[in-house]
Order: sequence, then structure tokens, then C-alpha cells
Amino acid sequence: MAERVFITGIGMISAIGNNVEENFRSLRAQQSGLGFTRYIDTIHKNILPVGEVKLSTDELGALAGKPGSPEFTRTTLLGLLAIQEALQSAGIADPREMPAAFINASTVGGMCDTEKVYFDILDPQQEGTFLQYIDTLDCADCTQRIADETGLREYVTTISTACSSSANALMYGARLIQQGLVQRAVCGGTEALTRFTINGFNSLKNTDKQFCRPFDQQRNGLNLGEGAAYLVLESESLVNSRKARVMAELTGWCNTNEAFHPTAPSPEGDGAFEAMRKALAMSGKTTADVQYVNVHGTATLNNDASEGKALERLFGAKVPKFSSTKPFTGHTLAAAGAIEAIYSVLAINRQMIFPNLNFSEKMEELGITPETKLLEEYPVRNVISNSFGFGGNNASLVFSRYEG
Amino acid sequence: MKAKCYIKGYAAISPQESFSGGFAPHLLTLEGKNMMHVKEPDYSGFIPPNSLRRMSRVLKMGLTAALQCLRNSNAKIPGAIITGTGRGSLQDTEKFLHNIREYSETALNPTPFIQSTYNSVNGLIALQQQCTEYNNTFVHRGFSFEHAVLDSMMQLAEGNATEVLAGAFDEITDEHFYIKSRIGYWKKELTQPAELLESATGGSIAGEGAAFFLFTSQPSDICLEGIKMLYKPSEEEVQQALQNFLSSHDLAGEEIDLLVSGRNGDARYAQFYDNVERQIPDAKVFYFKPYCGEYDTAGAFGLWAAIKEMEQWPANNAVIYNNFYGEQHTFMLLRKVV
Repeated sequence: MAERVFITGIGMISAIGNNVEENFRSLRAQQSGLGFTRYIDTIHKNILPVGEVKLSTDELGALAGKPGSPEFTRTTLLGLLAIQEALQSAGIADPREMPAAFINASTVGGMCDTEKVYFDILDPQQEGTFLQYIDTLDCADCTQRIADETGLREYVTTISTACSSSANALMYGARLIQQGLVQRAVCGGTEALTRFTINGFNSLKNTDKQFCRPFDQQRNGLNLGEGAAYLVLESESLVNSRKARVMAELTGWCNTNEAFHPTAPSPEGDGAFEAMRKALAMSGKTTADVQYVNVHGTATLNNDASEGKALERLFGAKVPKFSSTKPFTGHTLAAAGAIEAIYSVLAINRQMIFPNLNFSEKMEELGITPETKLLEEYPVRNVISNSFGFGGNNASLVFSRYEG
Repeated sequence: MKAKCYIKGYAAISPQESFSGGFAPHLLTLEGKNMMHVKEPDYSGFIPPNSLRRMSRVLKMGLTAALQCLRNSNAKIPGAIITGTGRGSLQDTEKFLHNIREYSETALNPTPFIQSTYNSVNGLIALQQQCTEYNNTFVHRGFSFEHAVLDSMMQLAEGNATEVLAGAFDEITDEHFYIKSRIGYWKKELTQPAELLESATGGSIAGEGAAFFLFTSQPSDICLEGIKMLYKPSEEEVQQALQNFLSSHDLAGEEIDLLVSGRNGDARYAQFYDNVERQIPDAKVFYFKPYCGEYDTAGAFGLWAAIKEMEQWPANNAVIYNNFYGEQHTFMLLRKVV
């Protein structure tokens, strides 16, 4: 029998707050973090809304205890702030106390900063301190700097499966624990807004000039966001021996591939359906046990149609409350899975369901609509969190209330 | 983790004549730059012409190596597809960066952006083979392929898959070669692969490649017994870890008859390789980097070369040791099934 995997710490930063409590307050106040960028130099800056963290990179550096450190990119600093909170919330004073894994997720690494100096790097005439940070270009740089700052080093790696990256990081960490390779894994992802990504999604014509409207008939694309989130996963035996506080249990997970199209989901949501179905089966729960689904809900035409169909196929006439929290944070790509994992844990711990903002008109191809109101004192025991990405990568996670 | 992980088939695209299946190590003669490129196979037997035209170089390399591995293994739909890549499609990343500047962020072609996504090769393999199972991509320098291997072993141990397609791919471009030359990745003077290991200076020769393996729980000739990774270890930690790794498999250093070493001629990290050779004193040593160059996922070529050596040479136990610029260190243990 594989060990149970518990969540003992959470930490995050997003457009709606610099820590978990600030995020929770914004969710409860139904206050979106979407707006125009203050920090990205792009022609789209007053056209495409984004979910930007409300601190400059210098301010992030100061907050993370790394002032004046240009080698710490925005991606790294967001991650560092989130992991510091996660470790603290788990009551871990010294992460070096035992062999632990750090499984990070990123889609473009330090592109946020390297894209500013990329053409200087290519120019032999240009010299300067930026040369020392050339390696921040890849996805491993942020992971290693965070690992070095925290002392997590038994397993250190980075996953990149587009928008499902950090859901896969959580899954991987949980499996390392179940296989007995570590007792503790800190998992999640970090993503900073970049001109590269904004132009990438804009070239695909799936960014909305208005605030995104998940599961709405008039939805017209996503808004990008940035942020970072990490969850501390621990084995049951470690939790028992150190008497750790358990926030929730990660009871099920599944990663599937749609094998349908490089950037679009299948119309019937085959991949989403399978990911949710198998994750739920692994958790030992039935569809009737699920009170809330934190959907991927990017508000692109394809995603919401396909994910909605998958929900109807899995739950039939009894689709539980569901909402996309992307109108709060924007789509934070590699960080999304972990940010929404924490929202799922909050839904369980605070007995609350967060609203799907900006919804007004039911999609004609679906019989279901998302929850648009904040529901308090709602008995949430099991939550499914979905993350679906390019390349057909689908991931679903099941979080359950800790029952001892 | 108890499951056995056997190697049923493999394929590699490398600077060597590897794709056809044989391996007669040949040292290339470089001109101008310390950089070697793969010998690209004819992709037309693997990828439909319409797709081929759109696909960038590393996508073709990765997809074709994966498909050839499945063919060589007599397999169609694996139970999982797991890859590692340090850089993904550099060509597409560079192209999109240049396009953003050249066209001032307007009317951009999305193809390079899509193809620059690190998991695009995985998606293509899944799409072409209609494989809807587990699919994952690791992007962490010298721990990219290595975590793909560990993930594969876990998939087999969990019983979620009986066959896992795992591999790695990375390319080198002129632009990236130049970028890395500015921070000491390559030797400054033109250095021939034949002289690489005698060099007393820092840096190595840039390389590239794609290699895939079909790992299975069904017994076959060679078994991957274990993998041990070390992040930024000291010399002592590497020595201790090797000793523990071998004894956990009931082996002593003297019982290893083949050492496949990632020594890359970079004098800054030679001590790690020296120590390992001292701990495995009786083994024949095969240095693979003069044949493939240095890159994030060169360890995949190392595994491929180790298998080829074991097939051609009576080795029962082989250790592969590699590190990527002194930060990510990996041991793998292979055993011939008798």
C-alpha cells in the first residue's frame, strides 16, 4: 500500500495578492487582479489585459531578501517569495533537515529578463554584467536558484508541459513520496509575464481584449497572468512523526494526453474526461463525493467547450459547483496548476466556493453554467482541479479534506 | 522502488552513424568551430511531407528518433511517453524572438511560438502514435533526460505502464553556440574531438542529439538497475554516493567491467571523473563525449553508447557516470541479463 500524501504547507503570489491570505481575501471580496501591465514593454500594453503581480522586480527582490540581485530574474523572485511562505506555513525552519525534493515548473524560465538583453548578448560589441546571467535563459535557472536559497537538493528538477506544468510537478512529487524516494517534496511552479509569451498567445489569436469570460457564450480568449505557488507534500509517516499540521490530502491524480491536435483540445473533451475520471478513481471517491471543480476554464473558445463537455460526460445530470478562477489571476501558465491547487485547498479548509467572474450568458453547446456567487459555509470535502495544455497535456488532481 | 526496468529497444540520432543501429565510434574533424552536428537521417519514411515542411529541426530529430525506437522495439503505443530536453527547439525560440523585433510585435506567425514549447515533441509523438497515456517533459539541464528515466522507472514500478517510451533531444545553433561561448561553455581554441580529453583548459565541444529508449517490465537482454542523481555535490559526496549506489545493488567497484564516462575535456570538472575511475578500477572505460559533444541531454547518448558497448563486448555490469558542468551528476547501473 503506497503512502498517503498530505499537504502541510502552501505559499503563493499572484495578481490578487502577495501571499495566501491576500489571495484568499481577494477571492472572497471578488476582486480581480486583471488590468494593464505596468512592467512589460510591449505594443499590447494598453490593449491586452493581464494578471500582473503588483510589484516591480526590484520590489520583489527586496521582499524576497535579495535586493539588487540582477541574477535573480522576476521568475525566480516570484518563486522564491512563494516557496518561503510555503516552507514557513509547513513549519519547516530548515529544509536541509532531511533529504527533500524540489519539483518546479516553468514554461519560459527567465525569458522575462533575458528578452530585454537578448540582442545585446548576441552583439560582440556589447559587454556588461548581463553576460553573467546568460544562463537565466533556460527553465532550470530559476529552479536551481530557489533550490540553493532554500537548501532543497535531494531531487531538483523542472517540468514543462505548458499550462499543465505545475499540476504535473505536484503529481511527480507525490509519486516520489509514494515510491519511498523522499518523505517530503516541495512542488509547484513560477511564471513571469514576458513579451515573448504575450506575443505568442496573441499570434494564436486566443487572447481577449476584454477581461476573460470563462464558460460564457461571448467568451473570446484568455488573459495571461503571472505568479508562483508551491505546496509542501509530505508522507503520512513524516506527518505523524513530526506532528505536522495537515491542510488537505492529495488523494488522486492523472495525466493523460489527448493525441488530438498540437494546440487544441478535442471537441468532446476526451482528454479532460479521462484525466478527471482516472484521478477520481484513484482517490477512491465517486462523482457524488465531489463538491467543487476548479476548472481550467481559460475562456478560449475551444477549452471551455471541451472541458464543459467532459464535465457533463463525467457527472451527467449532477455536475457539481464549478468555477474558473482565471478572471482573478489571469492564466499563469506553468504556475496555474499550483495556484489553483492552493485555491482548492482553501475551498476545503475555508468551506467556500469561489465565483467565476465575468459570466453572464450560458454557452449554447452546454447545459451547465459556472458558479457565479461566492458560497460560504459550503460543505466542500473533495475538489477536482484541472490543468490542460498545449501538446494535448491534461492533468487533473483530487484534493480531499483531511479525515485523519 | 522495486520494479525491474529492461531495455527493449532504442534509437539515436547523433553526430555518429548511429541511426542505422550500429556503432563504430568515429572521431569527427571539426573546422572553424568547436561544434558538432548530428547526421540527420532521411525523415520522409517517418513524417508525412506536409508535417515535415512545417517542422523545425529538433522536432524532426526528436520525433524520428522516437518513432525509430518504437519500430526497433516492435512496439506501437507505449504506456507512457516521457522526455527530457534542456533547450527545446532553440531554432524556434530564436526565430520568435527575432520576429518580435523585426516585425515590431505585429502579424507574427504563431508556428515558432508553438514549436518552441518544450513539450511539443511529446505532443507530436503522442499524436502520431495516438497514445493517450501519461505524457511528461523535464527541462532541467543535466537532469532532463535523467528525470525522464526516473519517471519511467516509477511508471513501471507503479504498474501504470508495462512499456515506457523515454528519450531526450537537444540541438545546437550558431546563435546559441555564440551565446554560450560568452560564458565559457566551449573551448576557446579549435579543439579536435581526438584531442578533447587531453586538453588542460576549461570548456568543451558543443554537440547535439536525440536518443530514445523503450523501457519495459518484461525481461530482455539489458536491465537498467538503478539511477542516482546528485545536485551540486562536493567531490566527497559523489564518491560516497557511488559507493552507496553500488553496495545497494550488492556490487563492489571491482565488479564493474564497463565504465561509460561523460568526461568532456573541461579541466574544471575533471576531478569528478578521476575519482570515479579510481573507484571503479578494473573497468574498461569508454568516453562518449568526443563522439557526441557536450549538451544538456548528452547523458541519453551515453546510455545508448553503453548499451552498444555491452552488446559488443562481454561486460556484465556497466556504470554510466555523467555530470553537466559540475552541477548535475548522475550514475546509472546497467546489468546484462544472463
